[in-house]
Parts: sequence; structure tokens; C-alpha cells
Amino acid sequence: MDKTENIEEVISTLSSYSETFIPEIGKDDVNLVNILKGLGMTLADTDDYLLELIDRFTLECIQLLQPKTCFSVYSDLHFDLKENTITISNQTFETGKTVTQLLKKSEAIVLFACTTGSAVTKLSKTLLSEGHVLEGLLVDLIGSELAESITEHLHVFIGTEFGKAGLNVSNRFSPGYCNWSVSEQQKLFPLLPGNHSGIQLTPSSLMIPIKSVSGILGVGTSVKKVAYKCDVCNDTKCIMRSSGL
Amino acid sequence: MNAEEILLKLAECVEFGKVNKAAPFPPAMKGMDGADELTKQALEIGVKPVDILNEALIKAMDKVGEKFTQKKIFVPQMLIAAKAMNASMEHLKPFFQSGEVKRKGKFIIGTVAGDLHDIGKNLVAMIVEGAGWEVIDLGVDVSAAKFLQAIKENEGAVVGLSALLTTTMLSMKNIVAEIKREYPNVTCLIGGAPINDQFMVEIGADGYSSDPQGAVNYLNALVA
Repeated sequence: MDKTENIEEVISTLSSYSETFIPEIGKDDVNLVNILKGLGMTLADTDDYLLELIDRFTLECIQLLQPKTCFSVYSDLHFDLKENTITISNQTFETGKTVTQLLKKSEAIVLFACTTGSAVTKLSKTLLSEGHVLEGLLVDLIGSELAESITEHLHVFIGTEFGKAGLNVSNRFSPGYCNWSVSEQQKLFPLLPGNHSGIQLTPSSLMIPIKSVSGILGVGTSVKKVAYKCDVCNDTKCIMRSSGL
Repeated sequence: MNAEEILLKLAECVEFGKVNKAAPFPPAMKGMDGADELTKQALEIGVKPVDILNEALIKAMDKVGEKFTQKKIFVPQMLIAAKAMNASMEHLKPFFQSGEVKRKGKFIIGTVAGDLHDIGKNLVAMIVEGAGWEVIDLGVDVSAAKFLQAIKENEGAVVGLSALLTTTMLSMKNIVAEIKREYPNVTCLIGGAPINDQFMVEIGADGYSSDPQGAVNYLNALVA
């Protein structure tokens, strides 16, 4: 079997999961260090009260989760390394230099969207409106972690399936990071047929539910995951870089 | 307790975030009266509301701000302190309304049109209010027209604008331009994850802060 047959076979297998992959999320999916970073703290700065609060709201948020994912795999690709664009199924994305360079060896591209659902955000808003600002902030941070965890599970699942055919997956990239404009969400969502994540886009490309992640990852024998994404990106103003995540 | 003792105790409650007797935080003050009860007691024995504000609450929040700047405390402790401050402020509201107690000034705040993120904006609003400012919170997805209306209704107010998306930074730019066109002397303070000093200069805003305490420091410098 040649490389193309390998990819097509995995794409065919994956397509049956493209609307139904829902990961099991537990407490271990919430990275305490990331939550603390969001509060400008490290583990050494915490106390029992804060740790108990994070623990309690992590459990509450997991109870409220309504995770949904969807993805599509495309192998009709064109990379323009001069213009720093990637054309996927006749849709040209201005992905910028970093993303285009890191994905240029891809033989297939996976577009995806994942969400926690809206209940976590609703809890955060309720707490804030009742004056429980710290609790509301914690729920918001936990919600962001959960959205990333759902996405990570999907990433691992896709990587495992392609791995069975001897193919690697790249890091994942989202519009809004690595100099890839967030407005390109408007091009990404039409390439998720049926959009089974249920995520809606506002005209300013904000995803609703807010705790959602969309993006792209590459597949191929020559693609690889790089350890530290920020090291290969020159966007010094990026939120991810400044938060240290 | 006499007036002086109550004010000292109240300042301690705000500094360490003891909201009321039932509040479990901080553990060392468990079961003790908090900012809520002590403010009530202070008013009952005739302490002037203005003294409660200046001698206990603002002094305590100044200490909190100082400790935050020195990285001796972090966002959670600052928010708990502000919550205790707000519990006390509830009792002072009638005196603000009657004009007996004056705040430092008015601060209009909102997340710009197209953006629905409100956590950062809410944190700034809470800490600024705790620092003695009257906050007029316009919410999220706020249009230029709504900001202009609020400025018209609140003469002399400083305006705070928040944006979390790179797409809504453009909305922020347009709103600041409209505010400056109608009210050139109104001070615009901006913030949000993708914002920086360079963007502040580019769009003609007056100030930028990356955190709530920075916003307080900026505002307090305006009235110092």
C-alpha cells in the first residue's frame, strides 16, 4: 500500500468518528499549574483555601460539561511558501509564515472545532453577577483548561489513528495565534460540514460558546510535533506567550 | 470597641479579605466579625461615613495595591479584599447618593462592540470601585453611541475600554476615535490581552494598563 492509500484509508476510518468523538474528561485534565499561571501565581504562592476552591469548582465544571467535537480531513492541499498561505479544498487560508512553514510537509490537513458547551460560561457569569468574582474567574480559567483538554484528547485520538498507518501529526494551530488572523475562523467553519460542534461564530469571529477551540493540524510522514511552539513564532504580543501557557 | 478600634479592625478585614462573620476566609479570622458587621457597628456608634471610607477602606485597599505591586499577594487575595471592601461599601451607598461622601471620580467601563469577554473588564471594575471610584459599567458589546451617551450623562468621567480579540481591537480604535472627536478632553484608558502601549499610541488613547492595579494607579494619578 502506498502513502496516499494509507492516508485515504485512515481518513475513511476517521470519518465515522468526525461527529461522535466525545472524550471522557476527569479532574486530571485540568492542569493546576496553568490555572495558577492565569492568576499570576505559581504553586509556591498558593494556600489551602485557594487549592480547595479550585478543586471544588473543577469538579463542578466537569459535571456541567457538554463536550462536543467535530473535524474534517482534507488531502487536496496547496502550500504557497511565498505568500504564506495554505489552500484547502479551494479555500485559501492566510496562515502566516510560522503555521505555513510548520505544516508545509503535510500530506493531509485536519480542521477541527471543540467546545465545552455553554454551561461552564453560564456558571462563571452567575458567580460574577452575584459578586463572587474570584470564584467566577476560577470557573472561567477552568473552562479554558477544559476546552484545551477536550481538544488535546481529539488531537491524541487523531494522532493515534494516523499513527497506525505510520503517519505523524503536527502541533495544532488556531486562528488568532502565530500571526494567523482570528478572522480566518470565517473560512474554517464552512469546511466543517454540518458543524456538529454546534459552535456559532459572531461577525467578529468570536466563538459561541466562548469556551471553544478551533484550528488546524497537519498529517504526514515528514511532519512532526515541535516541543515549544512559542520558540518558532515571532509574535511577541501573543496572549499564549504572555500567559506562559 | 471605640471608633478608632473599629476602623482599625475594619481596615484589617478589608486588607485580608474578611467579608463577613460567616465567611471562611481568611482561616485565621474564622468566626470573627467581617467588613459587613464592622461597618454597620461603626455607623451605629456615629463614625462619619467619610472616615470609614478614607481611614479604613481606601487605606486598606492602598495597602492591598502596594502588596500586589510588590508581588507579596496575587490576584485571588486582591479580589477577596475587594469583595470585603464592597461588603462595606453597601452600607455607605446611601451616603454616596445623598452627596455626604464623595468618591474620587467617575469611571465608565465597557467591553467594545463585537466582543463579549467580560472577566477582565469586571475585575478592573471591581478593583477600581474598591479604590474609591464610582464605576458605571456598560457591560459587553458596547457601541460608540452607548459610550458617548454615558459620557454625556457623566461629565468629567474617565472612560475604560476593554477588548480581548485582535478583531475587536479595530472596534476599540473606532470607538476611541469617536469619543475623541466628540469629547477631545475625555481620558480614555484601554486594556485587554492583545493590547499594548504601542497600540494605545496608535489609536490616540491616553493610557494603557495590563492589570487592574495599573488602572487604579493611572486613575489615582489623575486626581492626585
